[in-house]
Amino acid sequence: MLFSSITFLFYFLPILLIVYFIVPSKFKNLVLLVFSLIFYAYGEPIYVLILLLSCLVNFVAGLLIEKFPSKGKLILVLTIVYNVGQLVYFKYTDFFIANLNNIFNLSVPLLRIVMPIGISFFTFQTLSYVIDVYRKDVEASHNFLNFATYVSLFPQLVAGPIVRYKTVEEELKKREITWSGVAKGLFRFAIGLGKKVLIANLAGELVTNLTGLANGSVVASILTAVAFTLQIYFDFSGYSDMAIGLGMVFGFHFKKNFNYPFTATSITDFWRRWHMSLSSFFRDYVYIPLGGSRVSWIKWLRNILIVWFLTGFWHGAAWNFIVWGLFFAVLLILEKKVYGKYLDKCGVFRYIYTIFFVVISFVIFQANSLGDAFYNLKSIFGFNGLPFINQETIYYLRSYGVLLIVAILGSTPLLKNLVNKIKEKQGTGLKVMNIVQPALCLVLLVVVTAYLIDSSFNPFLYFRF
Amino acid sequence: MKNSKDKILTLSFIGFLCTFFVINLCVKDQDVSVSERRKLQQFPNVTLSTITDGSAKDEFEDYTVDQFAFRDFFRRIKANINYKVFGMLDNNGVFIKDDYIFKTDYPTKTKSVLDFTKKIQSYASSFSENNHVYYAIIPDKNYYLNTDLFLNLDYDYMYDTVTSSFDKAGYDYIELRDVLKLEDYYKTDTHWKQENLAGVVDRIGSVMNLGASSDYQAVEGGDFYGVYYGQAALNLKPDKITYLTNEIINDATVSYLEDTKQNQVYIPENLTSLDSYNVYLDGPSSLITITNPHNTSGKELIVYRDSFGSSLTPLLIESYSKITVLDTRYITSSIYQNYLEFTNQDVLFLYSTMTLNNSDILKN
Repeated sequence: MLFSSITFLFYFLPILLIVYFIVPSKFKNLVLLVFSLIFYAYGEPIYVLILLLSCLVNFVAGLLIEKFPSKGKLILVLTIVYNVGQLVYFKYTDFFIANLNNIFNLSVPLLRIVMPIGISFFTFQTLSYVIDVYRKDVEASHNFLNFATYVSLFPQLVAGPIVRYKTVEEELKKREITWSGVAKGLFRFAIGLGKKVLIANLAGELVTNLTGLANGSVVASILTAVAFTLQIYFDFSGYSDMAIGLGMVFGFHFKKNFNYPFTATSITDFWRRWHMSLSSFFRDYVYIPLGGSRVSWIKWLRNILIVWFLTGFWHGAAWNFIVWGLFFAVLLILEKKVYGKYLDKCGVFRYIYTIFFVVISFVIFQANSLGDAFYNLKSIFGFNGLPFINQETIYYLRSYGVLLIVAILGSTPLLKNLVNKIKEKQGTGLKVMNIVQPALCLVLLVVVTAYLIDSSFNPFLYFRF
Repeated sequence: MKNSKDKILTLSFIGFLCTFFVINLCVKDQDVSVSERRKLQQFPNVTLSTITDGSAKDEFEDYTVDQFAFRDFFRRIKANINYKVFGMLDNNGVFIKDDYIFKTDYPTKTKSVLDFTKKIQSYASSFSENNHVYYAIIPDKNYYLNTDLFLNLDYDYMYDTVTSSFDKAGYDYIELRDVLKLEDYYKTDTHWKQENLAGVVDRIGSVMNLGASSDYQAVEGGDFYGVYYGQAALNLKPDKITYLTNEIINDATVSYLEDTKQNQVYIPENLTSLDSYNVYLDGPSSLITITNPHNTSGKELIVYRDSFGSSLTPLLIESYSKITVLDTRYITSSIYQNYLEFTNQDVLFLYSTMTLNNSDILKN
């Protein structure tokens, strides 16, 4: 089920909200678990069993690690093998078969395994849990209901953010639900919904139109890359806002997942701001255990390459995702060892440098294959013999110009800073915000409903991960 | 104050969701959308197999969107925001210029145009030597868009391709581009207005050596909400539909392949149907025969046409004893040949540029 769907907004959510707020506190986790399983089963009726099995295995593993500390490492390794094995089986089997076929000239048939939605996210959540229990960073959960609620909690189940158990450990046991918390959550949800439906979907339409052009141009290729970069940002950050907002409505406080990444001053800075829950996962569970940067130069290089290979591969079972990850590895290495120290002195060029390579990276990310990625990059730099601009490009530039400007401005903290300035003006400013915020929330809801009713383009890009 | 803001926000948000949840449950499901001229998704058949194969879910998603209360109102909001806030040039491919609604048909499909010429020549392969073949290409109203702002077909390519192909085949060309203008088309529909076709009829008559036509009496059929009206989802004025008649048209009888009963050229009951344009020859039909008892010359015409032909053909009946109207979107040549013998009739191919660019809709 998509958050940005009529089914979710006008059937699932109102029923859940009513039931959730009516039942006593001790039943709230049960309500969330049942509705989360319905949410998941709606799209994956059979794979809900995989989700439940994953909950059970990791719950038992946590208990065993706690009960038999001397065998903790073995239990941890077995649990990691189970979790990673499950992910590899569903997500990467056909990738490996296809590559083995290519390398050894075999003809092993592909298994065409359908990947359970959100498996990359909930697998990483359960991995973080068992590793944290082994490290004694958290106590093992002794309540299966609470643990299963944590793993399957629908706001972050299918597209993140990757919530660590320790972030919500206390709130799973006891949480306060206040008017303020619910209102903040609903407002954040509405903002996320608007980002997704009004910007990401329209940017996606533009990408579809431009990639389907009968006659391409250099400007169209650049526009496609920019539009896709904006689409994926508003799509994913919008989803994260909705997830964080819904979490707040139900009394949970998830950490933020994006922090205006397009205002980053370097690629290193970009990855501190983009999909923060994933980059911190790889930092805490792969990079640092490998020794991080406190090792020899060559081992550090190895660590960086492993982490970014895995980051790319996590995003999809295809070579362009691996190259996308390694592309960032190269830039991060260069920033650390070659020109990073000069970047700080480059003023506005730092922003241009960062956004340039981010956009280029998403050309690789968006492509269906490495060949396509190479072709698209050549088009952007004018090496495919395309005209610089043509009538079709001008049409789409004019038609989507306002959207692009709104999206670019919306990806900066300008609006947030403006709102904060108004709020700082105690009295009038606060009064204005007290009126504007509920009105804006309702207007967004109406407009989003209008777009959902008359829309044909509504995919969530991160659902495939 | 802050607490009351939080309460207002929370209650209005949840209230909005719950209100529409209840309304959607209570309001009776609709079978069709009049404005969009399409059937609406009904509640899915829920069985174990439709659940496991995902079809029940997919249909339910469509159902919730299609049956949402005040659907047209919400579609209007979206269209207005697309046009007026985002400044988009089109909404779902539909755009407005000078109160006319257009739909983007782009790009020019060269293969489709070539296939069109092949299909027409394939139809013509069963003609006799005594059939005299004419053809006209009807420019769709986007042809008369007087701006480069919107994406448009390469009309020169289309006309040149078809005329060079058909000239070689020996068909006589009837040029229509210079006898039409934007005002001759409905504002809310794709079609031309029958009452504005005098120039077209004269041009066809001069090329096909038909006599001058009699006067017509214009009958007003009321408001016409064309096919683009609902797609535009804006508060626009409907067109007025008119049909031209006279004694000859009134006395002509029409028979359909699918129906044994004799009808009239115009079906006024259709003025209140989903598509008022169906007043002309009862709308889409595979094979129609129009018989004119006032013309005893025995002269016959066979018209191969798309929907534009419905309103034009009645204006040609005066010159013929019988007109056979074929719509090869609905009938194959192997079937219609069972009902039709090609002898010495005039044959007119009358297709719009929209059909040229989407010629896969024509059967072989």
